[in-house]
Amino acid sequence: MRSDRLPHNKIIFSGTVGAGKSTAIAALSDVLPISTEAMASDAAAQLKKTTTVAMDYGILILQSGEKVMLYGTPGQERFNFMWDILSEGGIGLVLLINNTTPDPLHHLEKYLHAFKRFISDTAVAIGITHMDRSQMPSIIDYRSRLAHIGLSPPPAVFRVDARRRDDVAMVVKALLYTLNPGLIDA
Amino acid sequence: MTDKRSETSLPIHLFLIEVSGMDARLIGLSLERHMKGRVQLTNDLTHAQAALIDFDRRGAEQALQRLPPGMQLGVVGYALNPKEFTNKFAGIPIIGKPLNLENLWAALTRAINEPPTPSSSAAPDTPPPSALETPKTLGDSIDTEEGIELCGVFDDLPVTRTENLPEKLFFDPDDYLVGQLFRAVVKSQASQRPLAVAGLYRLIRVVLKPVPQCVTAFRETRLRPISMTQLPPATTRIVYDPGSQDLTGTEIAFATEDILWNVAAWAARGRLPLGSDPYRQVCLKSWPNFTRTFVPPHALRIAALWVRGYASPIDIASKLAIPQRYVFSFYTAAHFAGLLLYEPLALAAKTSQPDLQTPPPPVHAPPVKRPSLLARILKKLLNAV
Repeated sequence: MRSDRLPHNKIIFSGTVGAGKSTAIAALSDVLPISTEAMASDAAAQLKKTTTVAMDYGILILQSGEKVMLYGTPGQERFNFMWDILSEGGIGLVLLINNTTPDPLHHLEKYLHAFKRFISDTAVAIGITHMDRSQMPSIIDYRSRLAHIGLSPPPAVFRVDARRRDDVAMVVKALLYTLNPGLIDA
Repeated sequence: MTDKRSETSLPIHLFLIEVSGMDARLIGLSLERHMKGRVQLTNDLTHAQAALIDFDRRGAEQALQRLPPGMQLGVVGYALNPKEFTNKFAGIPIIGKPLNLENLWAALTRAINEPPTPSSSAAPDTPPPSALETPKTLGDSIDTEEGIELCGVFDDLPVTRTENLPEKLFFDPDDYLVGQLFRAVVKSQASQRPLAVAGLYRLIRVVLKPVPQCVTAFRETRLRPISMTQLPPATTRIVYDPGSQDLTGTEIAFATEDILWNVAAWAARGRLPLGSDPYRQVCLKSWPNFTRTFVPPHALRIAALWVRGYASPIDIASKLAIPQRYVFSFYTAAHFAGLLLYEPLALAAKTSQPDLQTPPPPVHAPPVKRPSLLARILKKLLNAV
């Protein structure tokens, strides 16, 4: 099974509950995404009715027919054992933070810590969602926190509407250019 | 400038056809300030040597056909995407929006020397160019007329420092909206008072709380041409704004950083603000918020490289192997958005090489696991933006 999995190209979507990971994958995927939703319990229930419990899965089909898998991790921490499993062999991390949750800056820090090794091997680009409902913290606050954390080079932080393909694609493009600024369109 | 006819009959009297009131005002202001004595608007077609027709307007084609047949009139088209009309109006020079005075002058002199022949008029049977165009790619806006409009056509400077920098490389922000808006934001933040830029037909309000924003009823489609146009002195002024007057209910709030980035990027056209040193090393503090700002050509690549450490605009262009004008536009936008960190001059004197060593300097082919795969994914995503 492992030999089958290695050639797969993966981009990982992670982040807080209700940040829009499933929506972002659906916005970008060329196929109907597969989602493992279950009725939300505990804190997640306050934000939405259902939540991802194992993973979301979408596919970006390249012109050559090659496939890039889009994996979304569950947001709830009790499923964090899935984070390492899903991120193995990934190209990079798209981190989505729900700005309406209490203390989103703390969540940012927590996720960056959880994916520390993966990010150091690859790269991260960050999308802040639901800023229309909660303006604070601002993008500048996120940048300050990132500077405090000492992540270098500073990752891209964009205001994102996960329903908009343009927004999600921009975060992924920033991720790709972070991996290689010399990248040109093939 | 070498055209005999235009030299002997200055100023050229220009008649505007199907140009909106706002555009006409901006064109009039620009001509008055920068082409006085060379081009002058006229309301009398019989007096005109040239006409500027807005091809984006529905009535443009009919207006062109209604022009008196024997009239020696140079005709210039004006369109957001000139390529769309080159087949339809073959033989008529078309300049892009917003107005670039150098392009206008070149097109006018050409049009006056070569007035349109009957065959130059509209050819409705030609299939629309859009039907023949291939899908957009990342490089589409680069080195096309639109790319030129956005980032100019300046040649690269020498890679090693030269004292003789061309004057046209620089622009005075005070001649553009960006200068006044930037000043309003700085003043407002310093005084903690709500201010606004007045004098245009909509206010641009500076709001400090809960987050720094600029609130205006201008849509981006209007803001862009105004940002690119040189405004005569005293067109705009900074006023105290309690915030409740003149609200139209159609106002949009832009993050201050985003709107400053946009108006600066639109004004730049491959130039630097007066007083900038293209050889001085700077560092990009953070990525601009590219989901809500105008993204100039190559901007993502420039941002990805420049956040890694100090480098001059010249160095960045050299490392990415792109024309310097794209980096200059980016620099100007980042400068006004407050995203640049300037290397102290004392330090700069000691360093001659770009400080992109920590973290490791990117080169054209940095060690990544699957560069070709990244490029293929990127290509896939291009149509999304």
